[in-house]
Amino acid sequence: MADPWKESFDHAIAVARKAGVVIRDALQNEVKVMTKSSSVDLVTQTDQRVEKIIISSVKEKFPTHRFIGEESVAAGQPCILTDEPTWIIDPVDGTTNFVHGFPFVAVSIGFAVNKELEFGVVYSCIEDKMYTGRKGKGAFCDGEQLQVSDVTEIKKSMIISELGSNRNPETVSKIFSTMQKVLCIPVHGLRGSGTAATNMCLVASGAVEAFFEIGIHCWDIAAGAVIVLEAGGVLLDVDGGPFDLMSRRMVSANNRTIADRLVREIDVFPAERDDAVKPKPKP
Amino acid sequence: MADPWQDAMDHAVAVARRAGTMVRDAVQNDMKVMLKSSSVDLVTQTDQKVENLIIQSVTEKFPTHRFIGEESVAAGEACLLTDSPTWIIDPVDGTTNFVHGYAFVAVSIGFAVNKQLEFGVVYSCMEDKMYTGRKGRGAFCNGEALQVSDQKEITQSMVATEFGSNRDPEVVDKIFSSMRKVLCLPVHGMRGAGSAALNMCHVAAGSVEVYYETGIHCWDVAAAAVIVAEAGGVLMDVEGGPMDLMSRRVVAANCQVIGERIVKEIDAFSPERDDAAPPEKA
Repeated sequence: MADPWKESFDHAIAVARKAGVVIRDALQNEVKVMTKSSSVDLVTQTDQRVEKIIISSVKEKFPTHRFIGEESVAAGQPCILTDEPTWIIDPVDGTTNFVHGFPFVAVSIGFAVNKELEFGVVYSCIEDKMYTGRKGKGAFCDGEQLQVSDVTEIKKSMIISELGSNRNPETVSKIFSTMQKVLCIPVHGLRGSGTAATNMCLVASGAVEAFFEIGIHCWDIAAGAVIVLEAGGVLLDVDGGPFDLMSRRMVSANNRTIADRLVREIDVFPAERDDAVKPKPKP
Repeated sequence: MADPWQDAMDHAVAVARRAGTMVRDAVQNDMKVMLKSSSVDLVTQTDQKVENLIIQSVTEKFPTHRFIGEESVAAGEACLLTDSPTWIIDPVDGTTNFVHGYAFVAVSIGFAVNKQLEFGVVYSCMEDKMYTGRKGRGAFCNGEALQVSDQKEITQSMVATEFGSNRDPEVVDKIFSSMRKVLCLPVHGMRGAGSAALNMCHVAAGSVEVYYETGIHCWDVAAAAVIVAEAGGVLMDVEGGPMDLMSRRVVAANCQVIGERIVKEIDAFSPERDDAAPPEKA
């Protein structure tokens, strides 16, 4: 049977590469920054420009498809996954890295049909690495097949997490206490690239055993989720239950043993779901 | 006047590249690991092989020069800086990264004469980036001149540090409490490459404003110290004041203002100095 989403997949790769070139070009120039809620949570003009490039190019080719995009949601569009073919887009994952020229910046494009993720494309544009995953057909980086690490002992593991952009004292306390507990299991080391999409690709490629975070959004991880699964990894909620794309909580790991061990150390804190119904603004 | 150490520097660049190629090759193959004091503090056969390669090649060309190397010191050699021309070598900076195939692994070669650092070479071998600094003559990455960030506001800064390999609870508490205070200044973000040499090169290149760490060794930072200084940055102790290469403490910043602001948030502690006298044998 012909693959019904092959054309969309090919288009995603082409447009991710095009978007990545725009980002790389923008990095050479002065980066003009607009502020969102805090100075940490930066959004750049490039972010909006790249999302427009991706959405308009997809609309032209697939006029009935829907979108969930970081910038569209920030501009007030709903963040609801329906059964329709839906592109889930983070135009620039790693905005803080982008602003500083730190070399992990990715374009992330996930694609879901009937609420199931079908493929994911993550283009790490400064490194020029194209990660792809297609349900049932494996995960690849620049044509080379990806396979998660076979380590099953947590003490021999490298773990990734992020300090995040939330500076609420209670949240920061939980993040630090979790990290300290994980470090002192002990593990080999803790790292963080500053982009969730790239962190997941590092799990898929076996450079780290696991990545966990609370506070990420569906557009940060939709593409990486397919790549991790297709490289042989697992996805869980931070409390050990099933992964929920909209819950803003995730553990991605090379196997269930490592994931379960990490879950025991994670201090969970609340994060409003991506698909929460927002109160209507008062007139 | 001709540069008296040009020959030595050219040799350092050439041997760093050769060493880096060896490290890259080893990462492709299966890595056989020996244990040091704990499972975190790994040292690989490559580490020793690369240090031997560097020392042999330098000894052949400069027979009177001395060495301080991570592996030689681990094997019991003295870690004392004299006035003689001395090569300060970390064959594989980022050993944990190396073991996991994480992309930041560097060969670090510093060179001191009369206890003053003259040049530094850091080769990031997975990325194929050659960072160099020569006292008074600037810092470069693959031929392009490096310049630190001009940011003066700590709240607009990106900060690099590491959790380190020490799992002593008191030390871990201090590391976390410092990190937390720094994060909540607030700063834009905190990163760690897992290699001190590369964290410092990131300061030199302007992608982070400041890097601090306690627990590093002279061979981790000697080369990159020249690169940071020549890119326009400053080096300090974690309590302020001048950096002491043997103290195992460093702040490398784009400017004095940022360096001093970070110092205020650091809970300082003092690991045993690199040049501490070894315990008397019974």
